[in-house]
Amino acid sequence: MKLQRKKLTASIPAFAMGDIGFLLLIFFVILARAQDDSHVRWQPANLKEADMVASPLASVTIDTGFKTYLDGKEISTDELAGALTNLLGDAPSGQRNVFLKVHKEAKASHFEPVIAAISEAGGDLIHILEPEEKAAK
Amino acid sequence: MKLQRGKLLVDPPASASSDIAFILIIFFLVCAAVQPETGVAQILPKTEEKKDKQDQSKNLEVSITPTSIVLNGSPLALPEFTQRITAALKQKTRDADRIVTVKSAPNTPYPFWIRVSQAIKQAGGILTLELESDRIINVE
Repeated sequence: MKLQRKKLTASIPAFAMGDIGFLLLIFFVILARAQDDSHVRWQPANLKEADMVASPLASVTIDTGFKTYLDGKEISTDELAGALTNLLGDAPSGQRNVFLKVHKEAKASHFEPVIAAISEAGGDLIHILEPEEKAAK
Repeated sequence: MKLQRGKLLVDPPASASSDIAFILIIFFLVCAAVQPETGVAQILPKTEEKKDKQDQSKNLEVSITPTSIVLNGSPLALPEFTQRITAALKQKTRDADRIVTVKSAPNTPYPFWIRVSQAIKQAGGILTLELESDRIINVE
């Protein structure tokens, strides 16, 4: 006589799907953060005429320690023009927006070489500033 | 005789807590992503080596220090500078004549520099930076 084996169930519990989704989301959030510059500390200068601006192809930041960052990664001013040229590629004029976020305590010796590098790469420079009425609140 | 009512379920199912967390994360991500940026644009046509001294002598020259703005040799405060540069550029019609060469002291603060460059832009000037390394940057 042959004994019948007990059948084992192999189904994945459906209530674990939420947890899997949650972990996947955390993974993609961490991956996305590696490309942004939200971790760079800086304070914008104020200007009355600051308007809404279009989205950039690249973002250059001078932080509170006056270090230069390209898309959140620290870079020297000498390497900036080359790196920006690669990032901007063949994008047509008018769509080569580069955000320049300069900490309000930075001096000309910090930001002028950066402006020169953006110019050399052919970027459309946009200074990121805070409108004065918003800063007063 | 009194009939016993069936007990109502009051605890939310524990398996739903991860779904709730998922929806909350999506909510906060969307909130964080929608932060509009404000600023001012400056077109930088090119970076070039220094041109002839003769050509440059025709242009308006602005020197910025942490405390003052010097326009063609006269030190001015910002409101006065705005008036003077607007008046000086009003007479000029050709692009080549509206070039304003700006030289900044190394310790010029950024908020002051951006105010001066904005005043030049609003007066119709084409801002050109003169750097220590003798490179010229045209800012329209």
